[in-house]
Parts: sequence; structure tokens; C-alpha cells
Amino acid sequence: MEEKKPEIEQISDSVVKSDGFSYLIIDRFDGLVVEDVEFHDAVIIDGRDEAFVRQIVRRIRAHKKHDIYLKPVYILRGATITDPFIQKLTDGTLYSLDQLPFLKDETERIRTRSSELKFTESISFEAQMIEKVICFMYTSEDRVLEPIPYVYADINYSYPILSVNFSRHDEHSILDILEIAEKEGIFESEFHDKVYLCGNCNSGRLSYREVCPKCSSSNSKTQDIIHHFPCGYVGPIDDFTNEIDDELDCPKCNKRLRHIGVDYDKPSVLHTCNNCGHKFQDYNVNAKCMSCGQDQRAEQLAERTIKKYTLTKKGEMAAINGFVTTAKDIEEIIGSVKYETFKTMLKYEIERLRQTEGSSNVCAIKIDNPSQVYSQLGSDVQKDLLIEIVKVIRSNIRSSDIISFQNSSTIVLSMNEIPTRIAKKILSEIIDILKRLMETTLKSMEVQFHTHVIPLDYGMSPEMHIHQLTKELE
Amino acid sequence: MIEEILDNYLRFLQSLNVGHFVRLFWFYIFFEFIRYFVIEWIVLNIWRLSKYLNRDKYEKARQEFLFENPLVSIIIPGKNEGKHIYKLIRSLKEQTYQNIEVIVIDDGSDDDTPTIGRDLEKAGWIDQFVRNEIRGGKASAANTGLRFCKGKFIVHLDADCSYDRDAIEKIIIPFYLDKQVGGVGGNVMVRNYKQSLATTLQAIEYFDTISIGRVVTSKLGVYRIISGAFGAFRADVLEKVKGWDIGPGLDGDITVKIRKIGYKIKFEQDAICLTNAPGTFKKLAKQRLRWDKSLIRFRIRKHHDVLLPNQSFKFSNFISFVENITYNLVLNVKWYVYLSDMIINYRSLILNILITNFLLYTITNFVKFVLYSVYRKRSHAPMSYFLIYIPCMVIYFGYYLRIVRSVAYVQELFFKLSYNDPWNPKKTSQHAKRMGL
Repeated sequence: MEEKKPEIEQISDSVVKSDGFSYLIIDRFDGLVVEDVEFHDAVIIDGRDEAFVRQIVRRIRAHKKHDIYLKPVYILRGATITDPFIQKLTDGTLYSLDQLPFLKDETERIRTRSSELKFTESISFEAQMIEKVICFMYTSEDRVLEPIPYVYADINYSYPILSVNFSRHDEHSILDILEIAEKEGIFESEFHDKVYLCGNCNSGRLSYREVCPKCSSSNSKTQDIIHHFPCGYVGPIDDFTNEIDDELDCPKCNKRLRHIGVDYDKPSVLHTCNNCGHKFQDYNVNAKCMSCGQDQRAEQLAERTIKKYTLTKKGEMAAINGFVTTAKDIEEIIGSVKYETFKTMLKYEIERLRQTEGSSNVCAIKIDNPSQVYSQLGSDVQKDLLIEIVKVIRSNIRSSDIISFQNSSTIVLSMNEIPTRIAKKILSEIIDILKRLMETTLKSMEVQFHTHVIPLDYGMSPEMHIHQLTKELE
Repeated sequence: MIEEILDNYLRFLQSLNVGHFVRLFWFYIFFEFIRYFVIEWIVLNIWRLSKYLNRDKYEKARQEFLFENPLVSIIIPGKNEGKHIYKLIRSLKEQTYQNIEVIVIDDGSDDDTPTIGRDLEKAGWIDQFVRNEIRGGKASAANTGLRFCKGKFIVHLDADCSYDRDAIEKIIIPFYLDKQVGGVGGNVMVRNYKQSLATTLQAIEYFDTISIGRVVTSKLGVYRIISGAFGAFRADVLEKVKGWDIGPGLDGDITVKIRKIGYKIKFEQDAICLTNAPGTFKKLAKQRLRWDKSLIRFRIRKHHDVLLPNQSFKFSNFISFVENITYNLVLNVKWYVYLSDMIINYRSLILNILITNFLLYTITNFVKFVLYSVYRKRSHAPMSYFLIYIPCMVIYFGYYLRIVRSVAYVQELFFKLSYNDPWNPKKTSQHAKRMGL
């Protein structure tokens, strides 16, 4: 009897269906909207170009929405891909679309495990990151978070699912976040290695050089020092050379040097700096940061421990029940309401509009570079920053309007009973004030804001409003 | 018995007339008393007077020095001296003159000196720690140090010494008083004078004989040894003489070398250094045997040309050598001649002669000790402490040191034993011996 071939249905150029699962095929950047991943069961990336795969995987796994970053990702024709970073962040490879039915079990497994998870939408950045890691580990059924030596990582090691959320320059913050998770009992750790990072910018891209202890120049000349026994003369070998032959003659007593150990020896060396002329015997070892250019003594580097983390039972439960930290989560900020409350109030406002036909709006303000803000400010200052932002927003909107945090980088607010045009204007003024505030308080760093306003439509659910709003912000 | 001796001695004193006194104590009168008391005292007064008259000149030189503010390189060569370095560096950090660079040279130490040195360098307490993995001897270590120096003046220190706060300032000023000065010796005093009888007697010797003796010879222009424990040199002059030659006795040798190329050598009494003297007479004998051998090795052999009327002949150098040889080697021999003279001709009076000599020397030592206190700048110890030890100086100087000196001269004159001294590595000494250096 002939075996029944599994059915593969081509829905469009970029979507195929197999065994009831919808697979989004990504083979080019053009027209790619990562948010579309949410509407499919898995993603298949064309693996012919490793850089392309790396970039797409990054965009999916770095996404804030769990419906996107937890999706199974497969690589088509990815046999040649050796990048460990990609391997850690993907769920398998296939040689042709004909093999799609073989992915059924894996896709099903990930979907099932994802559905077991509950998400807390913490407004603490660390909590958000920890939740993301443990959820990803839970769905991947991988209890070990192992650092991989990675040439593209600024700290020389990468924890891929965490690293994707940070720019290369801010990757060092990962180590702090993992430490917090360890303290919370989410992980157990095991020493793996030590890394030395630039004391200025925390980059591990360092060039170690032997330098002059006076001027730190690496331009120097090294010569043997010769001690001539008969007369006690000590000097660099240059003092003993002559212009006629290769022999060595003592400049003090004019005797010819004959036999090392018998009439002379070389007890040490002399380094002469070609920059400042300083003569010395021991170099300093300096590390030049290839990211910020800072040249520093090896002792001034920041020593960090790289650990291998294992998810604990508590960590697993935190993934299932939603992770709320006890120490680092940001309490409700005065002037804002909890996100769940916001959604309920939004629902009532939509209901109200259905009867009154007024004009109300829902708006979002998003910090575009939250990982940079976190890595440079740290958690306490970041919290103060959020408090200040809420104060500014609160003083520019009416008291009946509601503010809430969707997550640590996205603020949502309702602006009821005003035209959308006015709401946009108010929002634009708020952003101007916030930018000025940031310029004066955080001189070394630019905080980027992105805003969007949509009018409430009583034909749409609160969830759809928020989905539309956040999609625009992405 | 004692009464009989005393009675006999008093009768001897009563019978003495001037001619008889001169005949019996000619050694004391003509050599010891005249050279080591009368001439010394006269020169000390001249020195004191000229110092007073030149006080403005001195102040001007000091101002010139401080205004120029030259870099002074301090080199500290040594083997297994790590344990002493901290104390030394602490006294250097206290110096009133601070434009200094401190270079410690480790001559192949086999203890924890390298660790100590590197730590001090890292902590910024010393500017450079230089290590020769293979021991080459003190001269090679000092010469290695020269390679790393940048200063206009080089100060050579011993690691087991420490220095007065103004020692570096004081030792450099003479270079500004007279541009022909090529080297200046500092004033070494005994730090551990209370440790034992040996160190107490050495402390008195350093006060009266070494320090005052150097003031006098310096004033006369015949000062002959810049102590290795504390000596300053012009860097260009050291370059001309190509550094130190093989020791032991390299500090006296380099002084002669500098003199021979026409530079003056001065002693600066106010530049004070404290050192640890050997604690036992056995150790002291070992040290002095080494010192005394160098008279034969360097003055009589290596630099005998100073005594010859050749092109580089200099009267002051000639006198310096003659004075040194006369009052050490010749007088040492003469003393035995004197002793023989007395034994042969005045055998029956020998006890009375010895008692009289003892009294003469002791009285002279007391007088000198008290009188010279006027010429001493300061002391780190109460003078009264030493008074009861003065009578011991007759034995110390007259017998102990004289015997040690005699042994040293015989060992060096006839056996050239300085070349076998483990103070210097054999690999270098054998070459020096072969070349007569």
C-alpha cells in the first residue's frame, strides 16, 4: 500500500501550511514586518546568507512580545551555518520545504509549552529580561544558559537570548541582569571564565600591549645589557659594537669580548622608549579599548565573571506563573495605574463612546533605546527617570486622563473627550519637554522617544486598539 | 702587686725629662699627636673660619641649586637587600629636595628582594627597580643603575642606610660652590651604636676619626674616599670615568679615578647618613680587612702612577696618596719598629712605657672627643653616652685595628687575597687579578 504523502499547502509566496500549522517564510528584507510572525505558528528563514539569518533571528528574538520571540524558528538550507549564536536561537534546520511535516512535533511542543506560560508585564527592565530568558528556556526545554565565546559580542561571550536585546555596546548589562536572577533564585551558577572589560565603556575588545611605564607608548627598542667582567663596564650592546666588523669591543677598556660567561655576560635587558627616551627594564601592560580608544593599565580593567546558569525549580515556576521580582520590580509609579486597570478603563471608555459618539484617544510613548538607558543608568536611576517622565506627562494632561506602563519602555495613556489632532499636539509638546529635560539631566546620553496616537473606535476591542498602537510603535 | 707597679710607675714619671720623654714616646709625639691632633685641630679651625667667611657664597650656591632644580638620580645597588629598602625609601620620601628619581638595582638576589622591589615600584615608592638575573658584583650593579639614570647628579647609596631629611640637598650644594667638584662624600654615622661594644667604639671612630678626618682632608684637598654608603657624583664625570671598576674598595677607586681626570673631591659634613655598623669584632675585622686591602690594591698597585711625575701628575693627588700611604702603611710598620725599639732598648721600662702610652692616648682621645664636639654639626646620640668608652679606644685603635690592618697588608701585599674575596664574584675578580686592576 502506498504511503500517504503529508500535505503541504502554499498559501502565498511567504506562507505555507502543513499539518494545520502556518509557517511564515522569510527570505528577504523587502516588505518584512516582524510583527506578522505573531499570526503564524512558526518561522522559516532562508539560510543561504548567514548574515541575513542572524539579522532576522535577532529581530524575532529581540521582540518584546512573547507571541513573537517565543515562536519556533527554523532555517531552510541552513546546513552550512555554523554561527553558534544562530544555532542557540533557532529550533532546527530543514533542507527543503518538503520536510515541513517533520517539524510538526517540534512546533506543536513549543506551542504547547508557550501556552502554559503566564506573563506579568513587569515595568522593571530587568524583570522583563529575566522573564524573557526563562520563558524562552522553558519553551526550548533547555535548562542551561551557557555563555558562548562570540566574536561579535563586546564582552567576548554571548548569552544569545539575552544578547539580542542589547546593542553590542550595552551587552555588559547582561551580566548584571543574570546576577540579579541568580540572587532571586531563578538560576544556579557555575564558574565558566573571567573577562576583562574596558574601565570606561565596558567593552571587551581590548588590545594588550607592552608599553613604556612613563609615556605609555608601545614604540620602544630592546637591547641586551652586557657586563664586561674585567673592567666592570655595563652597557647596552650598542656600546660594544664597532663599525668595522661584527666583533664586540668594550668601550671602557677596549678589550675584545670573547666568550659569554667567561669574560662577559648578559645579565638583563634595557628597553628604550622611542617616544620619550625613558629607559626601563619592565614594560607596563596596557589594554587599549578598540571601542572607545581608552588606553589603560591592565589593573584598571573591570574584571567580570562569566558563569554558566542552570534554571532552578523556582525559575521554572517563575516562567510558568509569570516572573515578578521582589527586589528589582518597579512599584506602581505615582500618577499611573496598573496596566490591567488601564485596559479595563479603556474597555469602559469604548463602551461609553458607543453611546455618546464622542472623540477619545489612546496614545503611547515609547523609549526607543531602553537597553541603552538601562545599561548606562542602572536600575535605580532608570526608575527615577520613569517617575520624572510620568510627572511631566501628568502635568500636561487633564486629571481625568489615565497613564499606565505597558512595560518598562512603553507608556500608554488615554486622552478622552478631545479631538485626535489636539491629542497629537499635546503629545508632541510633552515630547519636547521630555527631550529638554533629558538633555539637561542626562548630558552624556540621548533618550529617544517615539509616540503614536489612535482615536478610539467602538467597533474595536481594547486589545485591538493596543495591538494597533504598539504595532505602529515597532 | 698593684702598689708596687704604681710605685714603680711614679718613680718612672719623676725620672722623665724632655729628652727622655721624646726618646721613649717619639711615635706618639711625632706621628699621632702632631698629625692626628695638632694639625687636625689647626685645619679644623681654618675650615670653620672659611665656612663662616663663605656663608654668603654657600647660600648663593644653595639658591642657585634650588632655582635650577636639577634631577638627582639615586642609585641603590645591592644583593639580598630587600628587607632594608623600605626603611631607606621612607627616609628618601622625607627629603627636603624632591626632584629625585630612585633606582634600585638588584644584583641577582636569591631572596624575596625582587618581589619587594617590584611592589615598591608598582606603588610608586621607587621610580625603577632594575634586576640583573645573574650576580655581577657591586660595581656592575651600580654601572647597570647608571644606564637608567637621567639625572644631572648621581647619588650612590647603600640599602641598609637611611638619611637626614636634608641630606640630598646638602650633598649636592658643593657642586654649585665649586664647578670643578666632581664628587662629594656624605657624612656616615653609626645608627646601631648601642647594639654592642663593637658598634659603640665604631660610633666614636666615625665621629672623631672618620668624619673629622674627612673634614680635614677635604679642606686640605687630599680627601681620598667617597663612601659607598653616601656619595654624590656629577653624571658627566661618571660618564667620563665609565663608572665603577671591580671591588672590593670600588668607592676609593672611583674617587681616585675622578681625581686623576682633574676634578675635585669634597666631603660634606652636614649631609648625614646613618648606617648599621658590624655588630661583632669578628664581623668588623672582616669588613676592615676588606677596606685595608684596598689600600695596597688600589693605591700601591693600580693607581701607583699618581706618585710618578708623568703628564697627568697632580700635586694634590700626589699628597693625598703620600699622606694615605704614610699614615696607614708606613706608620703601621713604624709602630712595630717603635715597639721593637722599646722592647730591645727599654725592656725593663716596657710596662711603664705601655702605661704612659695608654694614658697619653686616652687623654688625647678625651680631649679630642670633647674639643671636636664644637666642630660636629649634630649628633644623633648623646655625647655623654660615649665618654666612659673613650679609654677602650686605645685598645681599639692601637691594637685591634692596627693588627687587623697589618694582617690585611700582608694578605694583600704577598697573597693578593682581595681577589679571592667572595664579596665580589669570582668570574670578575679573576680578570681583575690577571689585569692588575
